[in-house]
Amino acid sequence: MATLRLDGLKKTYPNGFVALHGLDLEIADGELLVVVGPSGCGKSTLLRMLAGLEDITAGDLYIGEARVNPLEPADRDIAMVFQNYALYPHMSVAGNMEYALKNRGVPKEARRRKVEETASLIGLQDLLDRRPRQLSGGQRQRVAMGRAIVREPQVFLFDEPLSNLDAKLRVQMRLEIRRLQKRLGVTSVYVTHDQVEAMTLADRLIVMNEGRIEQLGSPMTLYDQPASTFVAGFIGSPAMNFLSAEASGRTLSLPCGNQLHAPVDAHGHVTLGIRPEHLVPVEESDDALAVQVELVEPLGADTLAYVQLDGQAEPLVVRFDGARRLEEGDRLWLAPDLERLHLFDPEQGQRLTTTEAITTP
Amino acid sequence: MATFQRHRLTPWILLAPQLAVIAVFFFWPAAQAIVQAFYIEDPFGLGHEFVWFENFARIFTSFEYLRALGVTALFSVSVAVGAMSLALLLAVQADRVIHGAHSYKTLLIWPYAVAPAVAGVLWMFMFDPNLGLLSAGLENLGIGWNHRVNGGQAMLLVILASIWKQMSYNFVFFLAGLQSIPKSLLEAAAIDGAGPWRRFWTVTFPLLSPTSFFLLVMNSVYVFFETFGTIDATTGGGPGGATRTLVYKVYEDGFEGYDLGSSAAQSVILLILVGLLTLLQFRYIERKVQY
Repeated sequence: MATLRLDGLKKTYPNGFVALHGLDLEIADGELLVVVGPSGCGKSTLLRMLAGLEDITAGDLYIGEARVNPLEPADRDIAMVFQNYALYPHMSVAGNMEYALKNRGVPKEARRRKVEETASLIGLQDLLDRRPRQLSGGQRQRVAMGRAIVREPQVFLFDEPLSNLDAKLRVQMRLEIRRLQKRLGVTSVYVTHDQVEAMTLADRLIVMNEGRIEQLGSPMTLYDQPASTFVAGFIGSPAMNFLSAEASGRTLSLPCGNQLHAPVDAHGHVTLGIRPEHLVPVEESDDALAVQVELVEPLGADTLAYVQLDGQAEPLVVRFDGARRLEEGDRLWLAPDLERLHLFDPEQGQRLTTTEAITTP
Repeated sequence: MATFQRHRLTPWILLAPQLAVIAVFFFWPAAQAIVQAFYIEDPFGLGHEFVWFENFARIFTSFEYLRALGVTALFSVSVAVGAMSLALLLAVQADRVIHGAHSYKTLLIWPYAVAPAVAGVLWMFMFDPNLGLLSAGLENLGIGWNHRVNGGQAMLLVILASIWKQMSYNFVFFLAGLQSIPKSLLEAAAIDGAGPWRRFWTVTFPLLSPTSFFLLVMNSVYVFFETFGTIDATTGGGPGGATRTLVYKVYEDGFEGYDLGSSAAQSVILLILVGLLTLLQFRYIERKVQY
């Protein structure tokens, strides 16, 4: 078990493209850190640099106390679970699992014991003689996990391990990974582009964008206080609604004519963020936002409605209780939860100071 | 199903051109060879006599034939092993190249486009005892080279020329095989603590086994039959039969010695031999192949 420390970690490709702009980060012993972001944000490059599969252009990487920059992947004492599992097709499940032990010269009897132990931990004991191609997607995923666990590494690296599974299996494996990681207490870095996976698995969460950390924090911190419109739009599903508004002190004027009480002092043009679940249907009144339903998506427990508000180009998404019956063309009145409004700089996208957001009346 | 059966004739019509080619260029000559193997014919085709297995009996008691068998064994093992291992080595290197990979590959594939006889002549000139650049170079190093006199050197020359000719073919297949191995497998092996050498033998090589097996069969056929042109242009089977392989002897006895019966019998034996060899390869080596 070990901590992981990144000190100004930077990656520049030979063609001059900067994939990572100097990352500083400390991952605690036993922590599961999830890195989430859109494709091309540098999250996989980061993981591959931790694994030693990509060179580090500048900066230092420490696993425990040791600086591992010059070390080969094999010498870093890490294990990685690949997106396509990367199981050796010509070896049995047991062969796959013991390959690393074999390479490290563990004697045969000890290898067998270790493989059987690990197999029973993750429910593979009856499949040890099978070849990967005889396994289902979920079983292959499990073998990939087993191969990582059997070595007892200092750090687990996960590279979108669930993205090849169907939705139901993904939820199940997500739970299983979480449970195993807690039980084994191995420091882990988990890369995904799926924000639900990120929220549910993470001790802490990093949202990355264009080779930079947009925000780092617990999943709920990122949900409650997104540092930018990028994070706000990425975390939470469906994504946060953004409206343009004019601020004057604590008063926000919307193009539709309504006025809202702002959480922070601001002046001039701002972007107002409201999550779909923070728009509440109310009785008709002058203070409420008058909207018209454009499209309804019943999900069972919830119903999502895309509604048109005067003066906004994009429809707003609103989350209703699943029991509520809605029709296209319905007129509704909505009141935003004033304590959960988010204000952002309209150009840079940064959150406008949030310190007193919820406290002031 | 019913429509399917009504068109019973259609498949045969579609296959007909291919079948006709095979019939004219394989089945008919093969049948002729089998028939001729039982006759002794005079060189001018004026008369022939049915002699049962006399041709075969003479072949198996002939010292010349047994010698050709030995020459063929040495030649074919050297060429097949050499052409395959060198091609694999080059393919592995070419697979790692990032810049200018395309020109490397093109250059390595070129020899395959050269006709066997031209390849033979090329090598003959390079190593010509009087004119050859390479033989002159060897001379300067104190190695006397004359493959027209020295049987060992002649053998070396035809082996080299044949390997050079076949390497490109093997190279293309090995390279394609290598490129179809997912990179993540080798990365996983690297993380699992296998060094480059071990990665190659425990991951790459087993995953190449279908390619290797296919090439083994193809190379066997190549060394037994297609090397004829190279040998004919380079050494003509000489000196003193040192490079006279089975297929070359078939040609010599038939078209230079006009012993058509013996030549036909030899070609029948060669056909059976290569057929058996291929059968053995499929039975015993294919089992070790990981598909």
